[in-house]
Amino acid sequence: MGSGRLGHIRLPGRHESSVIETPMCTLFTKVGSAPYLGVEMLKRISNVPEIAAMSLGGLAPHHENVREFGKGLGEFTAIKSSLIFTTLHDASAAVTSGKNDRNGVAVWGKGGKLKLDPSLYVKVQEAFRPDWFQALSDGDTDRGTAKKRLIKSVNNTLDFLDRTLELTQESEVLKDSSLIGVIEGGFDEEERQRSAKETSARPVHGFLIEGFEKGHSAVDLFSVENFSTLLSKTVGCLPEDKPRIMETVWSPLQVLQAFKLGIDVFSSAYPYVLAEKGQAMVADYTIPRQSPSAKLEKEGLADGCLSCSGFIIDLKNKSNFEDFRPVLPGCKCYCCANFTRSYIHHLLNTSELLAYVLLMIHNFHQYFEFFSCLRKSVKEGTLDELQASLEIQNNVRSVHET
Amino acid sequence: MVSLLELAHITEEGVRFKSPHNGTEMLLTPEKSIEIQNSIGADIIMQLDDVVHSSIEGDRLEEAMYRTIRWLDRCIKAHQRPSEQCLFPIVQGGLNSDLRRRCAEELIKRDVGGYAIGGLSGGEAKSDFWRMVKLSTDLLPDDKPRYLMGVGFAVDLVVCVALGCDMFDCVFPTRTARFGCALVKTGQLNLKNATFATDFRPIDPDCPWSCCKDYTRAYLHVLANTEPAACNILTVHNVAYQLRLMRGMRKSIVEDKFPDFVQQFFSDMFPAGVYPDWAVDALNSVNINLR
Ligand SMILES: [Zn+2]
Ligand SMILES: [Zn+2]
Repeated sequence: MGSGRLGHIRLPGRHESSVIETPMCTLFTKVGSAPYLGVEMLKRISNVPEIAAMSLGGLAPHHENVREFGKGLGEFTAIKSSLIFTTLHDASAAVTSGKNDRNGVAVWGKGGKLKLDPSLYVKVQEAFRPDWFQALSDGDTDRGTAKKRLIKSVNNTLDFLDRTLELTQESEVLKDSSLIGVIEGGFDEEERQRSAKETSARPVHGFLIEGFEKGHSAVDLFSVENFSTLLSKTVGCLPEDKPRIMETVWSPLQVLQAFKLGIDVFSSAYPYVLAEKGQAMVADYTIPRQSPSAKLEKEGLADGCLSCSGFIIDLKNKSNFEDFRPVLPGCKCYCCANFTRSYIHHLLNTSELLAYVLLMIHNFHQYFEFFSCLRKSVKEGTLDELQASLEIQNNVRSVHET
Repeated sequence: MVSLLELAHITEEGVRFKSPHNGTEMLLTPEKSIEIQNSIGADIIMQLDDVVHSSIEGDRLEEAMYRTIRWLDRCIKAHQRPSEQCLFPIVQGGLNSDLRRRCAEELIKRDVGGYAIGGLSGGEAKSDFWRMVKLSTDLLPDDKPRYLMGVGFAVDLVVCVALGCDMFDCVFPTRTARFGCALVKTGQLNLKNATFATDFRPIDPDCPWSCCKDYTRAYLHVLANTEPAACNILTVHNVAYQLRLMRGMRKSIVEDKFPDFVQQFFSDMFPAGVYPDWAVDALNSVNINLR
């Protein structure tokens, strides 16, 4: 197992001055907006990532209008200060199976399916003018996928990449946009390495590793036999000087594990997936661990409360009815500075949007905070302590659940 | 008690209804409603009233009006924090001038900090609506605020201020925002409508907030059809719109130019100059004559 790497990403073109530190996460968006939050609300959150990931499902159907607008997706969605990274699929949602073939890939939005072939794909990207864009890929694979299908998935993805490279070479609009190659291969080592090597041989600016699961699933990949070894071997075939991206919905502990295996860039879909369930992040990322969540952990143990763990609390749980503490005592976010668990519990009970607004603010704040702590602990050489601390906090949860 | 009415059974004791959350039967008495509001601690609290739909006439309407007065007395008696919280009675009486007059005359005998006008805005004819508002404001004392419940369209706000109402709520602007509607000088924009797909202007160039400084109608069109973030952005816009409208009215009254304000408002809202008859009549009744 590796030990992870600190890095920075310099972007060509219009953002020449920006240098982004890794490990990092991108800002997770739905249809080009932070979930539940307008740009004004986003300003209430600190450490907002400099790159916003925008999946094509909800946006691609509007590409003609964005083209007419003429200033790209960043301006169109009003997330002007961020760099835009267009991805194929919504990291928080399951990929619907069986819609990909050698001619193209389906993306899903509210209006249904849109089939993208390389030429339409490039046309969409020209309208969107992203800073990074994921190459078209056939990642509809997981643990159960047969070898034959995996070979096809790698081949399709390489074909798409070649045709995209051809098409973008002539594109004046996309000359400053960085194309991110996509690594496929499911759980097959041979295919993973072939995909990594072949993609590395092409002029791409970074790598997105996918195809381990069909979109968001409840499976903890690290508990799957071979996953860590496979990921590590895949990363081993990639050049050192380009970012490696994974969009998996990962808790801080899982992020740390993937970081150690060489991943640099993550999604922030995890805070959203929790908020949708009425859950809030309450772990402590400081080394040595400070009071708030350590205290929480003791309380959780004391009253045997299932909804209180070292990692997350479930605000839908009745135990919050008369709990007048902030979601996470000591948290500096707007939600914790102003509201109680009891009130958020009430908002969830009455299906008020504000519940999700507040949980998004808190969970984003905590996740972004975690990435700051992660970078800091790498710099200070305390990564193993951070991992140990997260493992202890994670275990508190399993004690309660069993 | 309007919102729970469909589930409710009303007796002299109070309102019996099934909890929308767990289905258990609950009894809300005037005393209980005040106890709850005393513990919530709002600065202005409302009496429990017996409100019937504005289409109801006859005995039931009369019963509801008198019961509202009896319940007011029970509320006043139950009120534990009268020096901190202002209790507003509610003028009822439906569309019956006589009942409404009698209700208002009874209420003003009680020592309260302000008055609400209720039982309107339930789909009644606008010509009835404004006459009932005016009848109420004419009877209520000048030195106490009058809150017109449930009224939210901009035209209604302007006309009812002219008729002597002081306070409104923002139920309408926030609810309509959640359905993708933005309020503007000329009425409202239903941003879900395909006509906005390539409209790259802000909702309102004069609105100083993020909703209009950062966003275009075209993007909000995309968002309004799919994402709850749109509710958030449009709610800010619509509340800001309503606050600006009310501020504009206050300013024009201070400057003694309220009739000019009303004229300008109507010219913006109805550029063709065709104003609704009821509004013209209502404004005429207080000597504001639209051109
Ligand atoms: Zn917080
Ligand atoms: Zn606005």
